[in-house]
Amino acid sequence: VEEPPELLAPKPLLSGAVPLEPFLATLNKHGITEVKVEDTADGHILHLQAEDTLIQLDEDGTHIVCDNNEPLRATLRDLVLRFLQKL
Amino acid sequence: LIMKDNSLRLVSPEQALKELGLNEHQLRFTCRVQLQDPHSDTDTLSRVYTHLKSVLKGYTIQHLPDGTVMVESIVVKVTASSEDPNTKVLLLSWSYQDEELGSFLSTLLRKGLPTGL
Repeated sequence: VEEPPELLAPKPLLSGAVPLEPFLATLNKHGITEVKVEDTADGHILHLQAEDTLIQLDEDGTHIVCDNNEPLRATLRDLVLRFLQKL
Repeated sequence: LIMKDNSLRLVSPEQALKELGLNEHQLRFTCRVQLQDPHSDTDTLSRVYTHLKSVLKGYTIQHLPDGTVMVESIVVKVTASSEDPNTKVLLLSWSYQDEELGSFLSTLLRKGLPTGL
């Protein structure tokens, strides 16, 4: 990580939505079991209590808010990407 | 590039999604990075700006009047930690399209700022 990344062509756009129940099941499979779910107007907010991390799931977006825990962030990113299509 | 009604057209990716009847999904990350820095929030942000300017050549880095630093489309903000005035919390926010740079910045800033800034 000493060298900053090259200015690359942008990543593909994402499409689709992350469904709550299958996503919770996937988290569970990865050992993330303490999840408090709160419903919002546009979706849900998941509080991963042991990890102190929030995931906001909306129809057209997902926002992952976490401490600087790069392995956890990368895992959550990959789990979210499983439910989306890349274009 | 999309093919529709037997013709090829070059359109923006966003437009292509729309024409295909798909919705774009925005994936964003916000990371909290703790920083030991006894300066005021504004000074800390200036120091972050100077540090990033020296490390990231060829990138667009802006220090905006609303108290944020932007590296390309990545937003960096400073908030003081309530318990300890010497600890600052940096908030870094980026989208999946800026994944490599966002990940790089969060790792870089976790190491702290160089002394002598």
